[in-house]
Amino acid sequence: MASRGVMSASGLASRADRIRAKLQSKLEASVLAIEDVSHQHAGHDAMRESQYNGGETHFNLKIVSPKFEGQTLVKRHRMVYDLLADELQSGLHALSINAKTPQEIAPK
Amino acid sequence: MATINLISAKISPSLRLNPSNSLRPLPTLCFLSPLSTHSSSTNHNFLSLKQTSNLSTTSKLNNKPRSLTIVSALKKLSESDSISLSSENDGVLTSDSGVYAIYDSNGELQFIGLARSVAASVDVHRKKVPELCSSIKVGIVEEPNKDSLTQAWKSWMEEHIAATGKVPPGNEKGNITWFRPPPQKKPDLRLTPGRHMQLTVPLEQLIDRLVKENKVVAFIKGSRNAPLCGFSQKVIGMLDNQGVEYESVNVLDEEYNSGLRETLKSYSNWPTFPQVFVNGELVGGCDILTSMYEKGELGSMLK
Repeated sequence: MASRGVMSASGLASRADRIRAKLQSKLEASVLAIEDVSHQHAGHDAMRESQYNGGETHFNLKIVSPKFEGQTLVKRHRMVYDLLADELQSGLHALSINAKTPQEIAPK
Repeated sequence: MATINLISAKISPSLRLNPSNSLRPLPTLCFLSPLSTHSSSTNHNFLSLKQTSNLSTTSKLNNKPRSLTIVSALKKLSESDSISLSSENDGVLTSDSGVYAIYDSNGELQFIGLARSVAASVDVHRKKVPELCSSIKVGIVEEPNKDSLTQAWKSWMEEHIAATGKVPPGNEKGNITWFRPPPQKKPDLRLTPGRHMQLTVPLEQLIDRLVKENKVVAFIKGSRNAPLCGFSQKVIGMLDNQGVEYESVNVLDEEYNSGLRETLKSYSNWPTFPQVFVNGELVGGCDILTSMYEKGELGSMLK
């Protein structure tokens, strides 16, 4: 993964890069799609008052990971949220998460 | 036969149907008996196919057998009897299904409606706008269903428009005089009596109690009547769609739910909103509810 290890305390890497790095290493994701959709939410009330308005606040995540095996959707989402706790505390506002196991995406 | 075209003609989109009114059965005399007893009036039937069947109508009949048989028994608006809506006539209206036309004291047609129980609907109108309800004409629809009632309503509307060039004022777009107000949504729950009040119980405990005492609770941004976030709106939409009772709490209400946002995040170990609880357990946010909704699992979980 090109972005692995990019995470830095200096905050130079983009949030998407940091999200990728954190999820990739811990979840051993076979699919990890990260889409920054912050611009779609730049107008809403909570964002207008935020210092992060319009920048790296909303992401769509698609993750396929064997670690999700046997976990409920709530648990899968919690795993992701836990890994991204730092980001959620520093302006990441909302995630849309699609969490699947390799088995679930296998063609039937 | 021109009348056939009237039936199938498209009604202008600005015309609205009266939403089915209360089904409350009222004890009534059947003043306007169904047409089966008015055999002598068959000659005046709006669509009396038996008497007019010729080649062209027969072929049309074969194309649209359903709508034609449905309205074949309905009298024309102009040929229906007018009944005074004075108080001594209380109880004479039929509680059968059909169309009705209400006239004011000048004989001006005010509104054409349809109802599952004509008497019950007219009762509502008379309570709301007694000054506009002077007399009425009723057309009973036998074997009423949504289609047949709509057809009957359309035929009277078309007839009136053809005769006067006007839509009855009560049927005009934006006129809500004759329509029931939409049901009010429940208010959101508040966790505290207000910001200025000292809480005797920790907020966390209030949350705990709330989600355990109510089967379904949605913590959302904004009120359920006007969600301020698209995800919250979607969740409310899905819950409404399931037709289940649920409570909502506006996490942005700083007056009555002060501090709720941060406390709820730690209570549920979930960093974002909306959050939906069922039987005291966090079910998830918008993504999870959507996924359950799409799989058809949401309804069974909420029941």
